[in-house]
Amino acid sequence: MFTRRYFLRCSALAMAGLGAAPSWLLRAAAQDGRKRKILVAIFQRGAADGLNVVVPFFEKLYYEMRPTIAVPQPGKNNGGIDLDGRFALHPSLQPLKPLWDSGELAIIHATGSPDPTRSHFDAQDFMESGTPGRTSEDGWLNRALGPVEPGVSPLRAIAIGAQLPRTLRGSRRAVAVNNLQQFETRNKDVASILESMYATTADPRLMASGKETFDAAKMIESINRNPYTPANGAQYAGGFGNALQQVARLIKADVGVEAAFAEIGGWDHHVNESPQLTNLLREFGASLAAFARDMGDRMEDIVLVTMSEFGRTAREDGSGGTDHGHGNVMMALGGPVRGGKVYGRWPGLEPEQLYEQRDLAVTTDFRDVLGEFVGRHLGRSSDQVFPGYKPGEPLGLIKS
Amino acid sequence: MKRFGRSLGLAALLVTALGFPGTAASRFDQKLSVDKQIVHVLNRLTFGPRPGDVEKVRRLTVEKWIDLQLHPDRISENPVLEAELKPLATLQLAMWQLLEKYPPVPPALMVKAPILPLLPPQQISRLMNCSAEERRTTLASLDPETRRLFLTAAPPQFLEGLPGDLQQEATKIRQEEQEARQKQISKLMPPLNELLSPEQIRTANRGTTEEKIALLNSFDAGKRLQILRALPPQSLADVPEFRREAMAARQPQEAVNSELIENKLYRAIDSNRQLQEVLVDFWMNHFNVFNGKGPDRVLLTSFERDAVRPYVFGHFKDMLLATARHPAMLFYLDNWQSQVPRDDIPFPPGVRRPGLNENYGRELLELHTLGVDGGYTQQDVIAVARAFSGWTIYDPQKFAEFQFNPAMHDRKEKLVLGHTIPAMGGEQDGLQVIDIIAYHPSTAKFISKKLAQRFVADDPPPALVDRMASTFAKTDGDLRAVLQTMFGSTEFLSEGAWQAKIKSPLEVAVSAVRALNADVTDTFTLAQRIADFGEPLYGKLEPTGYPNTGEAWTNTASVLSRMNFATALASGQISGVKVDISRFNFKEPAVVASGLLGMAPSPSMLAAIEKGIQGREATPSILATLVISSPDFQRR
Repeated sequence: MFTRRYFLRCSALAMAGLGAAPSWLLRAAAQDGRKRKILVAIFQRGAADGLNVVVPFFEKLYYEMRPTIAVPQPGKNNGGIDLDGRFALHPSLQPLKPLWDSGELAIIHATGSPDPTRSHFDAQDFMESGTPGRTSEDGWLNRALGPVEPGVSPLRAIAIGAQLPRTLRGSRRAVAVNNLQQFETRNKDVASILESMYATTADPRLMASGKETFDAAKMIESINRNPYTPANGAQYAGGFGNALQQVARLIKADVGVEAAFAEIGGWDHHVNESPQLTNLLREFGASLAAFARDMGDRMEDIVLVTMSEFGRTAREDGSGGTDHGHGNVMMALGGPVRGGKVYGRWPGLEPEQLYEQRDLAVTTDFRDVLGEFVGRHLGRSSDQVFPGYKPGEPLGLIKS
Repeated sequence: MKRFGRSLGLAALLVTALGFPGTAASRFDQKLSVDKQIVHVLNRLTFGPRPGDVEKVRRLTVEKWIDLQLHPDRISENPVLEAELKPLATLQLAMWQLLEKYPPVPPALMVKAPILPLLPPQQISRLMNCSAEERRTTLASLDPETRRLFLTAAPPQFLEGLPGDLQQEATKIRQEEQEARQKQISKLMPPLNELLSPEQIRTANRGTTEEKIALLNSFDAGKRLQILRALPPQSLADVPEFRREAMAARQPQEAVNSELIENKLYRAIDSNRQLQEVLVDFWMNHFNVFNGKGPDRVLLTSFERDAVRPYVFGHFKDMLLATARHPAMLFYLDNWQSQVPRDDIPFPPGVRRPGLNENYGRELLELHTLGVDGGYTQQDVIAVARAFSGWTIYDPQKFAEFQFNPAMHDRKEKLVLGHTIPAMGGEQDGLQVIDIIAYHPSTAKFISKKLAQRFVADDPPPALVDRMASTFAKTDGDLRAVLQTMFGSTEFLSEGAWQAKIKSPLEVAVSAVRALNADVTDTFTLAQRIADFGEPLYGKLEPTGYPNTGEAWTNTASVLSRMNFATALASGQISGVKVDISRFNFKEPAVVASGLLGMAPSPSMLAAIEKGIQGREATPSILATLVISSPDFQRR
């Protein structure tokens, strides 16, 4: 019987290609890597309470409907952070304030989907598909990628997590990376045989995933060879921070990233919302700010946009929390963003102004927000990304 | 259009020609050969074939073997499993016993956290909510000891806006307090290097199992406990009795859940009643409860044992009711806090008003019974929440018993899915809702489809789902009868169902352990691997549970995890799992592959292996790695 060592030696030739990405691929990716426009999508799963994230502190009704969970007005003890005399950031989002002041952070309020569902799972599917009312197999961000061309980077679209989110599923290749450091084949000799096994399998689904996996692993293994320290003293927080740091690292490695996705869960606060939201937003705000700091000048080519499937009831419920609602808030961050402004028509909180007399209404379709980034930032046709959708008035979120 | 469809059109074409599993309706008419049937039923009704299983089914016939699996009481249980479960003491305890014995913080480490001094509510309210000036004067009126206590325990918002001298004073007091606590803790929990010599530390971390046991047994119980507390659980992953003791001493509640995870894995790997275990996994996922939410970490043990396991071959309604009343579910989906809104009495501003919580009502309809398209409205969600108001928990941290609290119940009339529930009903209202939805046609269909997705194909033939739903309706939701309809169908034993399912991480891991006939002495590391794979057991935060279809488990992260898992397993790097590959010594790749798959490998897989090893013989461990990582092994 042959030993493992012998096996290794014998198959050394077959392994030669593995472990290092083909140099042409790296070159191709690097050439236009620097000036590439990048869109980063952040999903807050579980329906974040937009009314407590960006607080309409001018609304007396807001305080009446939320007697125990309202964020106090700016200047009060533990009050919000005044943005424009009408809206305030939750105090945990302090790290985002400098970005607002420098005009890199825009807020779009009373946004969401026209579909009435209050099911997390349907609403997430609809939003990720970009087709409210129906789930499509592919996601809006996948459709927003350019056509498949030879030599396109295997890492053009990346999601951080154990699963590829619907947002990025589709005909353009997209990879899910749970943890960069562990995205390596452990045993190189075995890996090369598996690569050819997956390449020749009669199983189309696993063939496609196999190819994507091996291509991505080669590039990531070469990225992993250099240790990573966030620039400018950026300090990421928690699991979400870790995900964003990996996005940053991949973008800075100039491997041709065009779209990235990260998510943060745990927003479904039916009970005892205030302390939970305070903690979660601390992680959220600190990590977004760290990302911008870490990316530095490269934010000139990046737009980061946040979304959540729907908002929550305008009134607090019987357990110091909120139940499933409708309209919500989105944020956009980046050099190209015309920030420092709260966009969107405010629908008001009077009973007849609320959606079904209970939730913040939607006055800006989420596709209007994403459509501007797809069109004006990535330079793709928004019709293809949001089929059949007639966009509303342009919001002007991107600097001309 | 699916992702792979476009770029791989040619491959897909080839595949159709070769007869690879598709979901075209006609393929669900083509009956499998008997050889394939045997592998198929083992793949679907068990966590994967063990060596010898194929022969067993052949001897008994497929039909009789299925019938036996449907009646687990007729199967004698594996004595190995009984021995594995015996040390897991928490599995048998009642909830109050678990809560008493396994507190959130171990009693030995209970260091008193600073608490706010007892003050009149008005004074507290002034200190917490009023202007900085008022807070300052109120604080000044306290005696020095109370003042110190208050500054130690006050929440951070109290300090905001206070003048610098007070802030500094508070910071200083807090620091002192923190240091004192730290000292106390390190006295209770000395670091490893104060307990052991460097050499002993090396043995404890990297010694053989025997060396570790000898070392730990050389200390008296008290000191051993200190050592166990200080050691990372990973270093004890092959000495389960000490690992369990260590976990119980460090994080008692996690130890309880860890035993439930062990229970799940041991049963999946070793139980002879495989279908029962597959079904418990299916229903626990259907009625998902997250182990990270408060006392649910402990309550899950009873939830599985008392609300799910007894009913997997029983009537759906009984399981539904048992989950609805179980404190684990009441806590997870917040129903225990839902109560009748009181608009009739005034509440001072800033005081929480009682009211409904819709969380359970919605997920009950959407996820547990009717399905999202099952024909309910927001008004139904609210009516259901009102019907269940008052279904609560008596002391969730201490006793965790179901309790109906009439004072929390909404007694007005309710209209649920067209049925009127009269006013003044009490606890009965919730029971009536259970009756309405448990037998609802949408429920029959939703449950049948989900079962067919697990056992037949991601996109099961509608005609089969309809027949299952009709059995469901005729038998008042007899789940065994529904399974019989499914297993007895042409579609189940058809080419359309053959290898149509992608294994979930749990399924890959357990089927590999079974195929390799591994000797499992501890499942701790195995469970961690499954978690890294994307399926932490009992750890799904969202009430949907884990995906029932393959799409979620075939992305790059998942494919890579599958390969790395196989490498670790076959080379014996998963502690507590000893693989036995000696039976593959000097065997051809084809023999190893069919030994592990229970059937002949695909030609492409074999070709890749043979070409890769260039005609030479590779070690059995490398061959096993290749087979377990192969596309063939990812399907069932």
